[in-house]
Amino acid sequence: MRKKSMILALISLLALSLLFVGCGGEDDSTATTAGSDEVIKIGFLGATTGGHADFGIKTLEGMKMAAEDLNKEGVLGKKVVIVEEDHASKQSEAANVVQKLIHRENVKAIIGDPTTGITKLAAPIAEDNKVVLMSAGAVGPNVVNTEDGQLREYVYRNTLLDAVAAPAVVKFLKEEEGWKKVALITSMNNDYSVGLSKIFKEALQNEGIEIVAEESIQDGDQNFAAQVTSFKSKKPDGIVFTGYYTEGGLFMKEVRKQGLDINMVGGDGLLGSTLWELGGEAVNGSMVYCGFMADPTMAEGKTKDFIDRYSKEHNGELPNMFVAQGYDAVMMIADAMKAAGSDDPTKFKEEIKKLENWQGVSGTITIRDNHEPLKSPVYLLEVVKDEEGQHFKVKAVIPVKG
Amino acid sequence: MTGMSSFLESVLDPYYIQVLILLGIYIIAALGLNLITGVTGMFSFGHAAYFAVGAYGAAILTVKYGVPFSAALITGGVLAALAGVVIGFPALRLTGDYLGIVTLGFGEIIRVIFLNLKITGGAMGLAGIARDTSIAIVYILVLVTIYVMYTLQNSRFGRALVAIREDDIAAESMGINISAYKIKAFAIGCFFAGIAGGLYAHLLQYINPNDFGFAKSFEFLCFVVLGGLGSIPGVILGTAVLTLAPEFLRSLSDYRMLIYGALMMAMMIFRPNGLLGGVDLRRLIFKNKYEKQAGRGTAAGG
Repeated sequence: MRKKSMILALISLLALSLLFVGCGGEDDSTATTAGSDEVIKIGFLGATTGGHADFGIKTLEGMKMAAEDLNKEGVLGKKVVIVEEDHASKQSEAANVVQKLIHRENVKAIIGDPTTGITKLAAPIAEDNKVVLMSAGAVGPNVVNTEDGQLREYVYRNTLLDAVAAPAVVKFLKEEEGWKKVALITSMNNDYSVGLSKIFKEALQNEGIEIVAEESIQDGDQNFAAQVTSFKSKKPDGIVFTGYYTEGGLFMKEVRKQGLDINMVGGDGLLGSTLWELGGEAVNGSMVYCGFMADPTMAEGKTKDFIDRYSKEHNGELPNMFVAQGYDAVMMIADAMKAAGSDDPTKFKEEIKKLENWQGVSGTITIRDNHEPLKSPVYLLEVVKDEEGQHFKVKAVIPVKG
Repeated sequence: MTGMSSFLESVLDPYYIQVLILLGIYIIAALGLNLITGVTGMFSFGHAAYFAVGAYGAAILTVKYGVPFSAALITGGVLAALAGVVIGFPALRLTGDYLGIVTLGFGEIIRVIFLNLKITGGAMGLAGIARDTSIAIVYILVLVTIYVMYTLQNSRFGRALVAIREDDIAAESMGINISAYKIKAFAIGCFFAGIAGGLYAHLLQYINPNDFGFAKSFEFLCFVVLGGLGSIPGVILGTAVLTLAPEFLRSLSDYRMLIYGALMMAMMIFRPNGLLGGVDLRRLIFKNKYEKQAGRGTAAGG
């Protein structure tokens, strides 16, 4: 009796897997009839649903714009096709998507993921299968290299790294704003925040700015009275806040409530309208740095054309950083392919390594010897309130030198 | 074992291998939860936490201490079982909804501990794990799990668990030590979650505490409830449907979660006991043999 049930379970399992393989077969035929020779497929790895959907959707918009531009002339006489898959912001699904893009769709390169975690998950898969992975959003450590420092041959990114931006911003704050003492606030359950605090700490020490208080919060916290009270007496000139906008907005509210007239500075985790939706008047003067900010009055050349075109297509809405980086990522891949005269990842990856002072819509990018991008400039934004209501305004454009 | 893997890898492309391995891993974890929730009737909303204990336990052992994969996997399972026992002692005095809430809380505690420990990499996650999980290893373990579960369910131990599920007072009056049985069942269920977690970590090569939250616990519970509480083929079917459906529906992109949700609702309306809940496959197929007993039907669903 027991044996029979075992056999039954086995049969049902086998039947299921057959069903699965069978259905997959159909997919396969449609994929191959599209002809992988006349087109160059570039995969999109990101979420269009779930928690990180906003990043993914914007990246995809930029990628599609780039493909449109490229297809006016074609790349190596071929058409560029963007293959999109949604992993719903889940890690296990992201691994499936990467495998699918590589093995079912035969993409030459993958753009994504906008988050560090999923890029780290995709990196070894891309590396093993010799497909280029270009992240248009990952800023955390150990993406283009493994944990033990070995460089990956197929994984790159075109983002402004915090390790590049934070020192430039700290220098600016010291020289232009006269900051001498700061309070450093970290959200302990946020990988981005923990990493960024480490970088800021080093930059602050190098510039000789004293950290008078280090406070920890958690993503999801609502009340920051204890933290603010504890550094209030130390009279810092400013606050370095490395978390996200939700907590950032509420945190500044508490700072003002306790009568402190100082501003905070943070990374692009603070970049969102939620900052003033939750923080109200309290966040006026708060500073955020990022790799790209569309400012039609200041932009010129390629960047201006890009901003104008996007806002025309999107009812006046300006492109954000993810759109620009998604656009640049596809363009970088295309330029590398043209330079190599081949869409074979083993060949054009060599050309990505050689990109120097490459002019994109989001800035100038150089891929350094350690495969990390050096991106210039850093945009330092400030929350201002004027007749249009509260919004981010470019406070300074800080060039970065290698 | 490696021969079998390389054979399968030559017939199937890596995308299917990936999905099938993931399915196998989920089946092992879901069968573990089935013993807890389906057979014994204890609601556990914290299964992903034990899955995480196994994942982190095994991954840390292989990455930081160079322990062989097989030993790390078993240690991961044992650690998860221990975590189950530690939590089980105070929690299993409760029943029903109360137990559910307590397991939910403990699940979150375990996740937050991983988030704040240094050795787990905190919020940055643990990367650099070798891809040791192969399709042959996973499906051999699936078969072992199925065998163990059948043996357990049809043993004196398993019948005691069913008795507890159906009526714990009656069971106790028959001389069953309820607490001891419950904790044993909980530990065994957690052990399999831990094994599955270890396989998961060595499949994805990167783990992050946010992946083991309440959503994942709930996913496991859906596998079991949808398939049919207490039914082993049911749990396998439920897991297969819920793991593969999102993959099949991927081409529908934005509508896929909508369909997934509708599918779940339809299932709960038309088959509230789950796909194979209350269906005895043996009885269905070997009808003649069981004709005399056919009228009795089985109680399932708790």
